[in-house]
Amino acid sequence: MRKFLILLFISTFTVPTSFAAPARKAAPRSYKGPVVSAPSTVKNSPLKQQMNQALALARSGQYEQASNSLFQLARRAELQAERPQLKYVLGLMLMEMKLNQVAAFQFVDVIRMGNNKYVKQAIEKLSIVADSLGDDTLLNYAVSKVDLNDFPEDKRDMLYFRIGEIKLKAREFPKAAELFSKVSARSRYYNQALFNRGLAELEGNQLDIASQIFQSLLAARDSAPVTDTNRVSAQIALARTLYQKQDWEGAIEAYSQIPRDHFLWHDSLFESSWAMLRAARFRSVLSNFHSLHSSYYEDFYIPESLLLRSIVYLYICKYDEMEKVLSLFESTYGPIRARIGDFIRANSDAMEYFSEIERGQQIKKSNKALSLRLPYNVVKSISEEGNVKRSLFYIKRLNDEKARIDLNPGYRSTPAGQYALKVINNRSRNAKLAVGDMTKAHLLNMRVELRDLYEQAGFIRYEMINGKKENLKMKLAGKDLTAAQIDDKIDRTFYVQNGYEYYPFQGEYWLDEIGNYHYLGKQSCE
Amino acid sequence: MLKNALKGLGLFLAAFLLQKVAFAAEVVELPQEELAQESVYPVFDKPASVKNRNILTTGKVEIGGYYGNAMTEPIFNVSKLGFAAYYHWSEEHAIGGFFESNLSGLSKYGEQLKSVPSSNGSTIRLDFTRAPAPQSSIMVDYNFKAFYGKMSLSKSIVFNLSTFGSLAAGLVKYTHKAYPGIALGLGQKYYMTKQLSLRVDLRMFMHNAPIPFFPGNATVSLDPTRTAPSHDQFDERLTYTTNLGVGVNYMF
Repeated sequence: MRKFLILLFISTFTVPTSFAAPARKAAPRSYKGPVVSAPSTVKNSPLKQQMNQALALARSGQYEQASNSLFQLARRAELQAERPQLKYVLGLMLMEMKLNQVAAFQFVDVIRMGNNKYVKQAIEKLSIVADSLGDDTLLNYAVSKVDLNDFPEDKRDMLYFRIGEIKLKAREFPKAAELFSKVSARSRYYNQALFNRGLAELEGNQLDIASQIFQSLLAARDSAPVTDTNRVSAQIALARTLYQKQDWEGAIEAYSQIPRDHFLWHDSLFESSWAMLRAARFRSVLSNFHSLHSSYYEDFYIPESLLLRSIVYLYICKYDEMEKVLSLFESTYGPIRARIGDFIRANSDAMEYFSEIERGQQIKKSNKALSLRLPYNVVKSISEEGNVKRSLFYIKRLNDEKARIDLNPGYRSTPAGQYALKVINNRSRNAKLAVGDMTKAHLLNMRVELRDLYEQAGFIRYEMINGKKENLKMKLAGKDLTAAQIDDKIDRTFYVQNGYEYYPFQGEYWLDEIGNYHYLGKQSCE
Repeated sequence: MLKNALKGLGLFLAAFLLQKVAFAAEVVELPQEELAQESVYPVFDKPASVKNRNILTTGKVEIGGYYGNAMTEPIFNVSKLGFAAYYHWSEEHAIGGFFESNLSGLSKYGEQLKSVPSSNGSTIRLDFTRAPAPQSSIMVDYNFKAFYGKMSLSKSIVFNLSTFGSLAAGLVKYTHKAYPGIALGLGQKYYMTKQLSLRVDLRMFMHNAPIPFFPGNATVSLDPTRTAPSHDQFDERLTYTTNLGVGVNYMF
């Protein structure tokens, strides 16, 4: 169907081209479609024949040859008037060849030339390829040029969604929510748009509306598998909304619904700990931290969780445990902080920052023992940041395009192929530099965050010493509590009868136990 | 009688109720939503079934002694005493060897066969001391440690275990001759401490061995009243023996 439309489109202007000389004067305004109106110098020249041949190649589905011919023709000074058309058709050919980035450049050229019949179509196509590439720069450019009324109705959902995203990023929450609400339920963007609409409402502090939206997304995904990302995202968003509403118990319940075999479960484990702390469920918080501070989370960058744990120990007067956790925080995040600082001081080139991210990605995928100058958990955390993730996806798309050209040596050696490679390499380099800059920004934020957390650790340590002093006073007064566990007097059959095994933790962590640890200590406060 | 029964029932009911009351008095603060509800595992980039293992074997040497029982040995003493030593070059593989010495004498069945009444009323006498008996085995043993796990026996007792496959090759010595053989097995170790473990091995030995019988019309016989055969006169055949070994290992 898509091919048919392209052929139909090409035929609409190739036919008048072929008969341009006799037809142009007779009915120049009666033909509504795009017309290749060759200037007098070109008429009946070999150039015109070449154009016709190129278009014939396009019509017959020989995209590679057509793109090469069109590319060369579009550079001819004699064909300046036809350049928008040639570039537009070249863009279509490149889209067919799945070279979206190179195609995007043709559409941008057409738009920049302005004042021609192809601008609207070029904007539409640019929006489509930019959407497929996931490149923010191109998307912003396309969106800034687009007039929604000129856009085909069936593609408007995409545009609403993308413009909504831009508004959300610009923190124009009501406008973003409005745009997301325009995405129709039939669209493939619908779930994402609904989620983003909820997010916009949440950011705009419209908690009840946000809650309703997430509920409706959950209902819409009710028949999807439990690990469906849209469903899980809606669930965690609902939990966050309830947390923001200070409905701690509701939030805890919502977090507990997140399936363990979904990657968002790790976030839910940490976030639910906050909700538990606010609900004064200290034992439950400590249960979560047993999992979160296990060896399985060595690759995770969660400095805040250690301080949170020490605060809980402060609440229940477990000063020795508190001391251990604070020491763990300092021994873990002290070197991390130093390495981040050293790296920032030693490197100013954005490409150096990107290289670290790239190496981190390789380690993640292949388990290779590559050396990193930054701690792996830092690199991993930055790689998972939304903007970095999106740019890495864009770079991947560019690599795919490059591989597509490299796999076709015949096309690679043509001028069009060489040009395409140049475009892709250039874009790839710029995208990598952008990732490098993002990484640097995240590292600077991390450095500031760690400095703040260190300050907090100092305050917590002060509270710990104070608590210890009070504890000693209690002991001297003979009022100290003996160490006890909440299930001291219950034997194991109690658990077995309830369908749960029970055994003590002896230092090793098992994958099937993560999330199932339970702190059984009692508080030591008077 | 009835009185005693009622008394017993009364005591039982009282104990039952008291138990209920005792458990009801304890509030176990484990909310339902925090208890395990899923049998699926969390998703990690690099999934590993266990981290921070209690029992680390790589680069360690393990020595041990064991008692072996030849479960399918019909004639000779089924008991063996052995010594084994292994080197663990990784968490999955170990290489070592064992030497085991068979205890002398006959098995319970061997003793029973010393004098057996035949169908024609005469007595068949079989003196198996005339036949070559297995004396010892020495083998090089490779262990593939396929599973590492743990078991809990009570609220406070939990220990690690390791299941492994073993493949051994070496010599099985009989009174007159040593036969090359192999042994294929499956074993399990229960770690009582990080160093000390209880090792259970089930092995099947395969090797040539003398057949300790002669046909009735042979010139030599196991019958003490007839001419004793020399050990070379016994036929040989491929023999399979299943052994169960139980011992204690120490790792350092």
